[in-house]
Amino acid sequence: MLLFRGPHWDRGLGGEELQEVMNNVMAWFDGLNQRGKIKAGQPLAPQGRIISGTNGAFVVDGPFAESKEAVGGYLLLEADDFSEARDIARSMPALRYGVSVEVRPVLGECPIFARHPDIVRRAQERVGRVTQPLAEVAA
Amino acid sequence: MSTTTIKSDYLLLFRGNVWDRGLSPAQLQKVVSDWMAWFERLKAEGKCSGGHPLEEQGKVVSGRNGHIVADGPFAESKEAVGGYFYLQVAGENEAIEIARQCPGLEYGAVVEVRPIADICSVKQRAEEYSPGQFAGATT
Repeated sequence: MLLFRGPHWDRGLGGEELQEVMNNVMAWFDGLNQRGKIKAGQPLAPQGRIISGTNGAFVVDGPFAESKEAVGGYLLLEADDFSEARDIARSMPALRYGVSVEVRPVLGECPIFARHPDIVRRAQERVGRVTQPLAEVAA
Repeated sequence: MSTTTIKSDYLLLFRGNVWDRGLSPAQLQKVVSDWMAWFERLKAEGKCSGGHPLEEQGKVVSGRNGHIVADGPFAESKEAVGGYFYLQVAGENEAIEIARQCPGLEYGAVVEVRPIADICSVKQRAEEYSPGQFAGATT
């Protein structure tokens, strides 16, 4: 999974330059799509909420819109291996304007759960049959 | 009388990848069971179309032509995205209600609720610069 961070990379770009980079981003996306490398992917609306605390007691606006860390969208790739995913990330045309791309392998099992296999086994017995750990996202 | 519900899509990003530290076996057993049951229930109700845990180790790509490839996110981070659910719900209130049910919240997990956007916010701003230039784009 690619997480695109820093959704305000277009600040300060002139109309012409912005158009060129947007064209390049779209061509990049279409090329990946045509090669069957994209399983799913969407932009995220900037305004969201951050939930924390027991029973979700705290609900605040977030993430901070100007943040370079904020996730602006994602792509779920069908890559042969990690290096292909990394190379796809490196070919993202907006990198030079300050976007960063986090490349994260998708797992069948949660790594937190994986630290506690006996507990997970007992939980599975309790919950009943657990379907394929986490199903694919609808494209 | 039948009612039609228009569904909107949200991404829940689960943040924090070490919230299991220091929990007793009984607490772990409960949170793991509850989390699995929660995911299964949301899928059965048609409110969650999928999701994945993410491997803890990834890379963060940045800079012109992606010349900076760093390990990341930090292995022990309260901010790191550990996984996600894809929700199809009636609206933001329902997405927030579901996020507040996350069994990891009382142990410090944080849930970011983000609406899926129809159009990338950068592209939207680019459209405002030069209307019509970006019509028909597929991203």
